[in-house]
Amino acid sequence: MKKLVALLLALVMVFALAACGQSAAPAASTATTTEAAAPAEDAAPAEEAGEGKVFNIYAWNEEFKGFFEKYYTVPEGVTVNWIIVPSDNGAYQDALDEALLNQANAAADDKVDMFLAEADYILKYVDSDFTQDVTALGVNEFSNAYKYTVQAASDEAGTVKGVSFQCCPSALIYRRSIAEDVLGTSEPDEVQALLDSWDKFNAVAADAKAKGYYMTASFAETYRPFSNNCTSAWVDEDNNLQFDPQITAWMEQTDEFIKNGYTLTAGVWDEEKNVQMFGDGKTMCFFGPAWYFNFCMGNAQDPDKGCSGDWAICEGPAAHFWGGTWLLAPAGTDNPSMLADVMDTFINDEEVCTALVANEAQFSNNMAVNAKFAADPDYGSEFLGGQNDVAVFSAMTDNIVWENHTIYDQLLNEGLQNALQEYYRGSVDQDTALQNFYLYVNEKYPTIVTP
Amino acid sequence: MNERKLRRNQNGVRYAKWGYLFILPFFLAYFIFTFVPQVLTIYNSFFENYREGLKQVGPNFVGFRNYVALFTPDKTGTINILKYAGNTLALWVMGAIPQLVIAMLLAIFFTSYRLHIRGQQFFKTVIYMPNLIMASAFSMLFFTLFSNVGPVNQLLQAWGLSDVPIDFFAYKGTVRGLICLMNFLMWFGNTTILLMAGIMGIDQDLFEAANLDGASSLQVFFKITLPLLMPILIYTIITAMIGGLQMFDVPQVLTNGKGMPDRTSMTLVMYLNNYLGGSKNYGMSGAISVIIFIITGLLSMIVYRSLTKKD
Repeated sequence: MKKLVALLLALVMVFALAACGQSAAPAASTATTTEAAAPAEDAAPAEEAGEGKVFNIYAWNEEFKGFFEKYYTVPEGVTVNWIIVPSDNGAYQDALDEALLNQANAAADDKVDMFLAEADYILKYVDSDFTQDVTALGVNEFSNAYKYTVQAASDEAGTVKGVSFQCCPSALIYRRSIAEDVLGTSEPDEVQALLDSWDKFNAVAADAKAKGYYMTASFAETYRPFSNNCTSAWVDEDNNLQFDPQITAWMEQTDEFIKNGYTLTAGVWDEEKNVQMFGDGKTMCFFGPAWYFNFCMGNAQDPDKGCSGDWAICEGPAAHFWGGTWLLAPAGTDNPSMLADVMDTFINDEEVCTALVANEAQFSNNMAVNAKFAADPDYGSEFLGGQNDVAVFSAMTDNIVWENHTIYDQLLNEGLQNALQEYYRGSVDQDTALQNFYLYVNEKYPTIVTP
Repeated sequence: MNERKLRRNQNGVRYAKWGYLFILPFFLAYFIFTFVPQVLTIYNSFFENYREGLKQVGPNFVGFRNYVALFTPDKTGTINILKYAGNTLALWVMGAIPQLVIAMLLAIFFTSYRLHIRGQQFFKTVIYMPNLIMASAFSMLFFTLFSNVGPVNQLLQAWGLSDVPIDFFAYKGTVRGLICLMNFLMWFGNTTILLMAGIMGIDQDLFEAANLDGASSLQVFFKITLPLLMPILIYTIITAMIGGLQMFDVPQVLTNGKGMPDRTSMTLVMYLNNYLGGSKNYGMSGAISVIIFIITGLLSMIVYRSLTKKD
């Protein structure tokens, strides 16, 4: 009995001290060395019999999972396994990277069979050997997909490595009542004519201010319309950091807007901006795609304090897109034909794409299906006061470009906005803010040369 | 010969091996969970080892290059790691001094047989409570409370104390103040309980004797309580300092990893975390860890020496 008690105590001690030992370690650094695993070998051709029984999908939220479960019929005998890691602080990419780096050694049922990626970091995966050519798997029909969505999933050599199940042209979303007050009209065509260049946009901002309104509710609201139209990448061929004229133009505009009180110092996702979407909000313009006004403008849709129906969209000063979820094909999947089938279904299956638009408030990545809705006089968004949003988005897609992107985009865009926010809030001067941005770049990417 | 051997065995029952057996778990745990990672961290700090996108660079041996890089001034002439070490110390000292003073006062009140405070258990539980909340949840709460559209600003405006919202996160003083306030709230209960245990360990006869001799409360505190409490106090200060130098969760969550404004609330471990997030730069973060280790060791030694010095 005594021995038993002694053993028990000893065990308790081990656990207690193990816990102490960990928290007392000098720093929270884990010292594991991650070695580069050789990129997984190209997958066996689809026609080879005996595909895997488990289909592993990596995603950062439940959005696509919902569509997949509703509209895709999983082949008999296959279990779909969702690995969902929220993208906060890069956790999703960390988990995905580990899985991809380990792809070659993973057991067949543990291999990544498909993963989701956003526009901001898609190149990191597309421009690597960890993804594979989907045309070789049997996805060949891209004639109905929007061009930029295919370009985004193509590597430098033009090999397509994935597809997007949605297209995300981003519109100028404005409050009809405020536009009526400031511009004298709330009709999308007329509003567009008054706001179709940055000069006009800036001039209207002054008028809005004079009437007691904000033009936008975040200093970074116009970042994407500018940055999507850059004529150069974040780094030149020698990996020197460079500022595109579009980025500089955004900085100048924002500087003016903050000084004159046309906008707020809140970030794009901050609560301070979101309260402006309520009925008593004072902000005229927001920028965003279908998913933004359908799923992220909850305050505007609030039954008591909201203002649903008092909104409309138009292209605005510059064509651009925002976000979008791509389905990418990892090298080494053991379910190549199912993978190809999923991709094909979500861009080419007319029924599925129709359902995405009609039931899920998506702007699908299928031109033919979208054209049907655009031409339908009975189709309209209640939130937008009956306006046919698909028609507006369809007209916008021709002007969207996918150019000058790098694997650094996500962190550099975030880093610049975060650093400059301190300047716009008045904490530091612009030079200091840029210095802090360079420090951040040096920490994240040792190979980028900063000024 | 044989007889002597026999006698020795009879005389001393050898308990030593049981002693070793009982402390073995600690040393095993220490070796696996602390010693090995520590050595690996030091080892890693001499390598160039990071990821760019999905491309792994290194590990290549680079000697002291990571350390040299850390201590090289940037274009504005600032040696950043010293700046962050300064931030960390400032944040710790600003939080720890009020924490020790308040905890000491509370501990004395609670243990004083003259005051004889009722409901001690209740108060002890309440002051310890904030420590049970996760630091990240606590920071999120403060972030929301003090945001430009948060309740604090709403109250200030409703009471007419301010016309425009006060941007608490735009000023060094307010951000640091909030961090210190949170650390204080989270840890003063813990310190109080430690100090109470220390005071209760002091022989009550001494207090009674002092009172009979007509010593004032202050005299009792400085001549009896404080000197006899020293060992516990030193322990409290050193553990608080080790925790303080590793300060991470509160400022990280409160400032969303930015250490705003102008990186004045960025602590050493946040700086380390900057290198880990995204680029998995084990070389540089290893070097920062080693520096934190050295700073912690030096400061602990200084505190220990200065407080145990005999006059």
